[in-house]
Amino acid sequence: MLRESSQQGGTLDSLNLHGAVNPEADSGVPYGSLLTAFAEAAVRQTDALPGLRERIASEMGPQELVDAAGVVANFQRMVRIADGCGIPLDDYTKAATDDVRGELGLYEFASAANTV
Amino acid sequence: MAFNYDGVDLPIRETTVASQRMSWQMIAAPGRWWTGAERVEIARIGRAARDFQPAGSELLPEAAVFAIQKLVVDNASLNREFYEQTSAADGMSEDRYVELVAVVVHALSIDEFHRALGLEPEPLPEPLPGEPSRVRPALAAQRASWPPLVPRDGLNDGDQMLYGPLEWGANVISALSLIPENVRWLHDLSEGHYLSFAEMRQPDPLRAISRPQIELIAARVSALNECFY
Repeated sequence: MLRESSQQGGTLDSLNLHGAVNPEADSGVPYGSLLTAFAEAAVRQTDALPGLRERIASEMGPQELVDAAGVVANFQRMVRIADGCGIPLDDYTKAATDDVRGELGLYEFASAANTV
Repeated sequence: MAFNYDGVDLPIRETTVASQRMSWQMIAAPGRWWTGAERVEIARIGRAARDFQPAGSELLPEAAVFAIQKLVVDNASLNREFYEQTSAADGMSEDRYVELVAVVVHALSIDEFHRALGLEPEPLPEPLPGEPSRVRPALAAQRASWPPLVPRDGLNDGDQMLYGPLEWGANVISALSLIPENVRWLHDLSEGHYLSFAEMRQPDPLRAISRPQIELIAARVSALNECFY
């Protein structure tokens, strides 16, 4: 969900999105690997979740943990809206993110057929 | 009162609590096409699906139960054929499908917030009495998404600004607009869990984690769900 919001703040310039599709890649943001591991444990409901929660709270802070949980919760919703309604990419989003989508292999996702 | 975090040793934001309470009220109340009891049942089936527990329903059409389960645990495989078959099934319609999706995803989002923080799920609300209004917005029209959408002028009073300068809104914002109340719901829970639509265009600092950290988490969740959008 490489949305318009990502581009408005210029975050695609400072964020290596390979970190989102490949846990081994360096995202370029502080605590990136910890945050993506937390997101994965929450989405996949793995046993790693309690330990990652503790690490975020102790290494980053409790408010950071709460805010990270909120982002996970929000995008668990947003992806299902996109998938459930077959929404196409907005023209401006497609133009701005076409290269990086190819680079990240997103066209391999089954949902690409509903969106492109 | 629902969502009382007093006993929780975590700094839950007021906007989060308010948006979650509003969501529970939305789920409990009659919608446009489902009763309050049916909407709470939709949330119950979705919650069970996330826990990989099979659940039948005496209240909902079979196609609705199947759609809820697909949305929760197999969302990456949804396609237009699924949408068309579901919305044409007995007891279903395009309108009922859109309302169902809204209830499922908003309830799921709140459950995911609790799950991520190690909190018990909030008990589902008691349904409120009353009949659905059964009113389809007059301006609803077919666009590129599967369900029809409602343009800015068809939204509820005070909600038009949620589309920004676009007549039909950004595609994800208008996706559930066949039930216009969903546009406000989408925004308010976004603000509670992530960012308001206005904040999405503002620079850091917005939350305790930076915008790149926020977007990294968002992108990781999307990638895990194999969501192209």
